[in-house]
Amino acid sequence: MSGNSTILEVKDLYQHFPIDNGGIFKKQIGAIRAVDGISFTVKKGETLGIVGESGCGKSTTVRSIAQLYKPTSGEVLFHGVDLCKADKKTLLKERRNIQMIFQDPYASLDPRMTVRTIISEPLNIYNRRGLLDHKWTKDEIEDRVEELMEKVGLNKLYKNRYPHEFSGGQRQRIGIARALALNPEIILADEPVSALDVSIQAQILNLIIDLQKEMGITFIFIAHDLGVIQHISSRVIVMYLGKIMEISTSEELYKNPKHPYTEALLSAAPVPDPKVERNRKRIVLEGDVPSPDKERHGCYFYDRCPHKMEFCSCNIPPMFKAGENHEVACWLYDKEGHN
Amino acid sequence: MKLFKKKKMVATNEFNQTVEGTSLTKEAWKRLRKNKMAVVGMVVVIIYALLAIFADALPLYPYDEAITQHQNLRPSLTRSAGELMLEQRLKNIYFQAWRNGELAVSEEDDARIREWVQESRTNAVWDLVYKYGEEARANGTFEFSRSAQRQIDRMLEDIENDIQITVNHLYAYDADGERYEVANADYQTLLNLYSTLLNVEPSLVETTLRNEVRTSVSNQVRANDETLEGEDLEAAVELEMDALGEEGYQERATQNLVGYIMQLARREAERDVSAQNSEGTITFPYKGSFELSSGMTAEIEASKMHERRYYLGTDYLGRDLLSRIIYGGQISIAIGLVGTIASFVIGILVGSLAGYLGGRVDYYLMRFVDIMYGLPYMLLVIICMAIFGRNILNLFLALALVSWLTIARMVRGQIMSLKNQEYVEAARSMGASTFHIILRHMIPNSLSVIIVYSTIRIPAFIMQESFLSFLGLGVQAPYASWGSLIGDAVSSMTLYPYKLIAPSVVMVVFLFAMNFFGDGLRDAFDPQSKNQL
Repeated sequence: MSGNSTILEVKDLYQHFPIDNGGIFKKQIGAIRAVDGISFTVKKGETLGIVGESGCGKSTTVRSIAQLYKPTSGEVLFHGVDLCKADKKTLLKERRNIQMIFQDPYASLDPRMTVRTIISEPLNIYNRRGLLDHKWTKDEIEDRVEELMEKVGLNKLYKNRYPHEFSGGQRQRIGIARALALNPEIILADEPVSALDVSIQAQILNLIIDLQKEMGITFIFIAHDLGVIQHISSRVIVMYLGKIMEISTSEELYKNPKHPYTEALLSAAPVPDPKVERNRKRIVLEGDVPSPDKERHGCYFYDRCPHKMEFCSCNIPPMFKAGENHEVACWLYDKEGHN
Repeated sequence: MKLFKKKKMVATNEFNQTVEGTSLTKEAWKRLRKNKMAVVGMVVVIIYALLAIFADALPLYPYDEAITQHQNLRPSLTRSAGELMLEQRLKNIYFQAWRNGELAVSEEDDARIREWVQESRTNAVWDLVYKYGEEARANGTFEFSRSAQRQIDRMLEDIENDIQITVNHLYAYDADGERYEVANADYQTLLNLYSTLLNVEPSLVETTLRNEVRTSVSNQVRANDETLEGEDLEAAVELEMDALGEEGYQERATQNLVGYIMQLARREAERDVSAQNSEGTITFPYKGSFELSSGMTAEIEASKMHERRYYLGTDYLGRDLLSRIIYGGQISIAIGLVGTIASFVIGILVGSLAGYLGGRVDYYLMRFVDIMYGLPYMLLVIICMAIFGRNILNLFLALALVSWLTIARMVRGQIMSLKNQEYVEAARSMGASTFHIILRHMIPNSLSVIIVYSTIRIPAFIMQESFLSFLGLGVQAPYASWGSLIGDAVSSMTLYPYKLIAPSVVMVVFLFAMNFFGDGLRDAFDPQSKNQL
């Protein structure tokens, strides 16, 4: 994983979903704060993992980056171009380099289309809009589809088949081939393996790693499986309630978690060795994840934090440096000692 | 689209063959074939459709050749119209005889007949009286009165001699002996021909024709503006005639002339064929060219009028009920199809826009649908028909205008559930336009529901049309639909029940078949039933 140039930068991204009162005029009475002000950078060629429990805003983050939702505020800079404010044409041009892989391989492929049509769909769309390097002929597209199918380990003879004739793993390969069709620089993988069997998960993960080595694609990889993230990512973001808790390199984070939430999260993952597992002390958090519809003025983890202090309840912690390539949003690591 | 995109892969060896996918549609077809009722329904629907499409090629008795003497004949597979007519006449005569006390009936039956007459059970009375009459005649205890005998004799003669003639083509010969077809000839030729046939001066014929054309123009003018009178009318007619010009006049006059000559030829052919018939030199049914005594050649079809067979009986104008039902089926099925297609186009358009765009668009469109729902739709149709006039096109329009509501809601629901599917998100992340997504993802995926619903809608349309026709707002004469046939038959239900039963059965069978077919389609397209394979 070479290169250190920043390819994508997310600055202060907010994604709020309005709650209306159901009346004619749709008066807004609140908002679900799915993503509540996050900033991070993605370097070329790396795999950035995002972990967190359900509902913490992982998927929303990548969907906002892909502009599937219009972010409430903030900037998504791709090669320095702000996608949130870009006009349609620019957005289309830039989006070509940002593709997605989806979670559910059963829902993400149109059951009415053959594999050929599915994989060639992005090509066709961009070809029709004249945004490819030249006007592709049908045969060129056909060859590209075959090439992609072989690349992701599918028999190209299956191209006339329909998605329901494939297994979950094969379907996910189709989804990956579709994401690769336009030769993107960055792929947003939204829990691409969580719907698969463990054995298949490994296959798909290895496929992604191979593709990355071969093509040098940058990945943003979401998972709630810590093992998967450890296996695949070079850097990891830990999210909680729409906020980033900790950013670190993968090894550092697993060896040396700093944030109380990360500690709890890591301790929830079982260890494969029964002896260790039996004697291990688990950190069990109290209470449930609070509803994300309230505006918060203190640490987002305050309600459940085992180390909470008075100060945390009314001051939002910024990202503190806690080592090289390691940042934590926790007042415990405030070296200047505000608390 | 898929068809055209396929690139042929040539199999070079057994390892390099294209694997054809089995589409959802194919699987649905497989499942449909397993459902016996649905297959039966489909076959019935296909038969109906074929009958409706090829109605013109079937040997049916068309409307314009209805024979007025054949009123209200009952259905019979074996007996010809003549026999049935005679039987009906005899029934009347026997009934009269019973009334006059000339036909002896047992006391018990006498009381029964009186009772039935009170209850207007005409058919029962006729049948019983006929039975007695025939018996009495066989025993020699009853004889027809002189007038009755005369009636019967005349009828027998008619049955023997009445001939139905259709002139398909008429040819005449010009001065050089060249043959030409009358229907295609020009004005001057026809004028000469007609005056020769009538043995009058051509100028006289021309004057008559000019007057006729003038009269028809005058009628038109008056129909357009009823207030015109006297000199104003004269002036307006004069203006119209000028606008028509010599060419327009000739065109109209030619039409009239062709009609007159054809009529003349038909009458002549009738006379000639009857003459040949009495000599016994012609066999029926006859089809071929026929030399008329005036020197013209006609291609005619001739058959004995009363040898027709009406398998389903006739109506009050002597029209064959079987042909009425088949032609009516054309209209009923067309209404079902056109209404469904029209309402689906509107419904899919509105529904997919509302469903996909959501928000305010959705809100206003759906409130509009709600309001339309609130109005009694039959009343709307009736008002539409009353305002825009009662013809078939308006009927289609009126039905389509009020029946897209359910479809719009259904499609909207479908699309709302589909638009959050990941493959739609995937398409959006690829930069697909709204139009592309609706057309390529949404509609194909909701098509199964749409197809199924449409097969269920078709019978509903036919029912609605029947209802309107029953009220007299639907199809207008001379056209018929199943509904109007039933509507017409209701008034004479007790006397001629077959007129009600035949179209009802035909319609019910079609509706059943369509419903079974629709049900089968729904099951076949339901992915849940995949396991049944």
